[in-house]
Amino acid sequence: MAAAGLGPARLFLGRRRGAMRALLGLARGLASGPQTHFGFQNVSEEERREKIYQVFENVAEKYDVMNDSMTLGIHRVWKDILVHKMNPSPGTLLVDVAGGTGDIAFRFINYVHSIRERQLQQKLKRHQNLSWQEISKSYEEEKVKPLGDSQVVVCDINKEMLKVGKQRAQHLGYSEGLSWVLGNAEELPFDDDKFDVYTIAFGIRNVTRIDLALQEAYRVLKPGGRFLCLEFSHVSNPLLSRLYDLYSFQVIPVLGEIIAGDWKSYQYLVESIRRFPPQADGRT
Amino acid sequence: MAAAAAGSLRRAGWRLWRGRAGLRCQLYPPQRALHASAVLRRASDEQKKEPLASSPQQQFDSPPTDPQPDHEPQGSRPSYTGQGGQESEDYESEEQLQHRILTAALEFVPEHGWTAEAIAEGAKTLGLSVAAAGMFHSDGSELILHFVSQCNTKLSDLLEQEQKLVQLGETEKKPTDQFLRDAVEARLRMLIPYIEKWPQAVSILLLPHNIPSSLNLLTSMIDDIWHYAGDQSTDFNWYTRRAVLTGIYNTTELVMMQDSSPDFEETWRFLENRIADAMNMGNTAKQVQSTGEALAQGLMGAAVTVSNAETNKAVRAELCSVPCLMLACLPS
Repeated sequence: MAAAGLGPARLFLGRRRGAMRALLGLARGLASGPQTHFGFQNVSEEERREKIYQVFENVAEKYDVMNDSMTLGIHRVWKDILVHKMNPSPGTLLVDVAGGTGDIAFRFINYVHSIRERQLQQKLKRHQNLSWQEISKSYEEEKVKPLGDSQVVVCDINKEMLKVGKQRAQHLGYSEGLSWVLGNAEELPFDDDKFDVYTIAFGIRNVTRIDLALQEAYRVLKPGGRFLCLEFSHVSNPLLSRLYDLYSFQVIPVLGEIIAGDWKSYQYLVESIRRFPPQADGRT
Repeated sequence: MAAAAAGSLRRAGWRLWRGRAGLRCQLYPPQRALHASAVLRRASDEQKKEPLASSPQQQFDSPPTDPQPDHEPQGSRPSYTGQGGQESEDYESEEQLQHRILTAALEFVPEHGWTAEAIAEGAKTLGLSVAAAGMFHSDGSELILHFVSQCNTKLSDLLEQEQKLVQLGETEKKPTDQFLRDAVEARLRMLIPYIEKWPQAVSILLLPHNIPSSLNLLTSMIDDIWHYAGDQSTDFNWYTRRAVLTGIYNTTELVMMQDSSPDFEETWRFLENRIADAMNMGNTAKQVQSTGEALAQGLMGAAVTVSNAETNKAVRAELCSVPCLMLACLPS
C-alpha cells in the first residue's frame, strides 16, 4: 500500500526533569550572519525565519487539505496517538506551540471532556443515595466546568495560521478553555513554570534555533511537566526509503501546485524533513 | 510487501522516552541506560547546563538500578557521581523520584482506585505537575507493584524483629503453624485500608505483562516467610512447602476480599483451618506410608506362612508313607 511510503512520525516524550539536551546546533553561533539551511539551500538565520513565515502564510488556507492529501489522512492517527500518550487529566494546562490550525488543541479538549464526563458519572455512582437536589447540583457543575479547569493555549508565530485556527474553532464549536497567542517558539511570551504539558507537532523542524526552543520549553514547564514532540523522521529501510523519496520529491510538490497553487512551499517542506536530524540525535 | 508495510508501521511507531525501565523497555536497552539519568531538584536549577551535559556519563558510573521494585533499597543514600563536583547534595535519581510519587499516590487510592489519576494526585501533593503521572504506565500497574513490594518489605522487617527477640530470649519460639498463621495474617492486614479497591489491583496484576513481576514478588515473600519459620530443607520438601503456603495465601486473600465480618474474623478462621489441613496433610502422608508398609509386611508374612504350610504337608505325607512301608515289611 502506498501508506508504507509515508514518512514515519515519531514521538519524543521528555520530561522537564529529564535529560533534555539541545539538538545538534543547526546554527553554530558564528560572529555575524550565522548560516543555516532552508530546505537544501544555505541561508542566514534571519532570512530563514522570513522564508518560513512566508511559506506558512501562503499555505495557511489549504494547510489541512494538504496534510490530508500528503499523508493520506494518517496524520490524524498520529495526532490522536500523541494525545492518547499524553493522557491528560482534567485540570491540565497545555501549551501547543506551532499549533497553528489547532489540531492538537481540539483533540486535547475532546479527550479532557470525555474524561471529565466519566469522572462525574463515577462520582454519582459512588453516592448511591443522592437526593434529587444533589443530582441536579452535579449537572450544574458539569455545565459550568465541562473541562474541569483544563486550558489549552495555542501559540504560533504566524498570524495567518492562527486566523485559520480561530475560524476552524468557531466552525467546529470549540469555545471553552481555548486561547490563541502569537509568539515565537524561541522566545515564548509566558511566565516560568506555568504549563503541565508542552507539545509541538510537526513544528520543531521549522524552528531556526532548536536549542532556544527547548530551553524555552524547559522554562515554561512546571517541575514534573511533560514535553511531547511529534515529528517526521528518517526511514531506515533502503527499499522503503527509495519509495518514500520518490513520493516526496515527485508527488508532494505536484499536489502542492494542484491543490494550493504553491510548488515551492511544498518543495521546502519535503527538503526540511530531509534536513531534520535523525532519531538518534533527538534522543541525546 | 505486507511484511515491509508491517515493518514500516513498527518503525513508524513511537519510541517512548520512558522515565523508568520495567519490562516494556527491554526492547530498547540503550535507552534504558539513559533513563537512569540525573533528575535535578529545584534548588540546583542554576546548574541546568552542566548536569545535562554530564548525564550520559552517569549511566556508566552509577550501577544500573534494577527495575524490579522489590530490589529497591528503602531509604538508600542517593549516589551521585563526582562529575566535576557539579552535583549538589540533594541530588535525586529518577527511580527515587518515582518511588516518592508512588508513595504519595497511595493515599489517593481509596478514592480514585489504582489508576493514573491517583498517581497524578500524588504528584500534585509533592509539588509536581499532574503530567508527571505520564512517567508511569496508564493502567496503574507500577503503583500496585510498588505497594506490594512495600508490604513485603514491611513483613520482612517484622519477621526479622521477631526473630531477634527470640534470639535474645525475650519471647518463645512459636510452633510452625502458629508462626505461619501470624505471618500471613500480618501480611494480609496490610491490605485492609485498600480492601475496597483490591480486587481491581489483583486483576491488574494478572495482566500478562505484569505476571512476571507480580509472581516474583509473591514467591519472594513466601520464601521469606518460610525462611523465618526456620525451614532448612534441601530436598523436594522445599518446593512442596512453598507451593502449599502460596496456595494458602492466595485462597485466604480471595476470602478476605468478600469477607464482611467484623475485623475479618471469618478470614482468620479460614486461614487457621487451611493451615491445620496443611499440617495434617503432612501427618497423613506419613500415616499412609506406614500403613502401606504394614500392609506389605502382612502380605509377606501370609505368603511365608502359606509356603511353610505347603512344605509341612509334603513332609508329613512322606513321614506317613515310611511307617506303612515298615509295617509292610514286618510280617515276613
